[in-house]
Amino acid sequence: MNDKRSAILQEIPRLRRYARALLRDRDAADDLVQDCLERALRRLDNWRVGDSPRRWLFTIMHHLFVDQTRRARRRGEAFPVSHDEAGEVVSEPSQLDALAARDVADALQSIGSDRRAALVLVAVEGLSYAEAADVLGIPAGTLMSRVSRGREELRALLDDTSRRKSIKVVD
Amino acid sequence: MQQRDFTERDIHLSIDGELPLDERAAFERWLERNPEMNAKHARYRKDAETLHAAFAGVLDEEIPSRLLHPAALGGRQVPRQRSAVLWRSLAAALIFAVGGIGGFAASRLTLPKAGSETGAQIADRAIAAHVIYAAEKLHVVEVGADQKDHLVGWLSKRVGLRLVAPDFTSEGYSLVGGRLLPAAHRTAAQFMYQDASGARVSLYVTDDPGRADTGFRFMQEDNARAFYWIDDGYGCAVAGAAPEAKLKALAKLAYRQLLAGETG
Repeated sequence: MNDKRSAILQEIPRLRRYARALLRDRDAADDLVQDCLERALRRLDNWRVGDSPRRWLFTIMHHLFVDQTRRARRRGEAFPVSHDEAGEVVSEPSQLDALAARDVADALQSIGSDRRAALVLVAVEGLSYAEAADVLGIPAGTLMSRVSRGREELRALLDDTSRRKSIKVVD
Repeated sequence: MQQRDFTERDIHLSIDGELPLDERAAFERWLERNPEMNAKHARYRKDAETLHAAFAGVLDEEIPSRLLHPAALGGRQVPRQRSAVLWRSLAAALIFAVGGIGGFAASRLTLPKAGSETGAQIADRAIAAHVIYAAEKLHVVEVGADQKDHLVGWLSKRVGLRLVAPDFTSEGYSLVGGRLLPAAHRTAAQFMYQDASGARVSLYVTDDPGRADTGFRFMQEDNARAFYWIDDGYGCAVAGAAPEAKLKALAKLAYRQLLAGETG
């Protein structure tokens, strides 16, 4: 039992990263992680020893994320996205990289939540298509098309951003 | 072997490390013949790197206490006393995992075996970089092994460490070349090797001053695995899809040769 619990604790940094990429806002992301940990610890018996704790936790978090997205949509609310600096993704050294990181994190928030989740699992968390499909509970073909569409959408948004920036400079 | 037609879909497969090994050479040739697809591939690959780098720093952050608080860890579900004991052991496990936060009397508790989070991050980045570049046929390295002296000199200067490109020939791997990578707060060097069958492993080295030395540790990810260690300011990882024992042998070779290169 304790092995299970410490295995879960060791996944917290990865869960936080996944949640941050999904939601961007630090507090909202940590709320999601907290909900995920609470649910995981209530359902420890559902986790079979030998199964990857990461995949199991990512699956739980995904269900919570979907619930949250649906609730927000029903209420017609936007997701909580704060723009205070403390919540910003600033992780990289050079300013150029930090700007690129910010642009990409912004653009990621603008793509649909299904595609975002698929892209983040594969491109940020490094899951294989089969594993990401398993976490999201969708067929591998669907996963693949979400990843590629998500990536295309992200690139289009980044192209827009750089176009707007160059227009600004011209002004 | 009959060559299949590639499409834009294969660009995504390639970037995500899902393109079968035996199709990669043909895919690279297809890119060469299709400049537009080649440019698209390069753009998407760069985006993938930026995306990974944008959130890598989250792993470095201190974990908010509310995520470690008993209430968050099932305190409501278990009797109070048991919960408190449980929480202490959990907290201790985590402190060990993140590399030691002062002020907690963790020493008398039994600690599970775990890598320091910082070492694990080095391994995580090494694996991510390996998966991206080992799949390349044309652009696997920035500077090839034919310019080894230049490569080693350049990477040593940019990473800020006295480096060598370790010789892995005794394990059947020869040097392909290397490249410079962004790391958390600095830069990292990646040396790429391949065996006679074309299977690749890479050595990742970054400057990591002020971190406690570790022994060899092992990390298994979905597409690859790595042995990693921190020693005397050198944060290193040997990553690849090779069996654990093989990677360990390579890690030992790399460790010895980097150490000899540093002092020699």
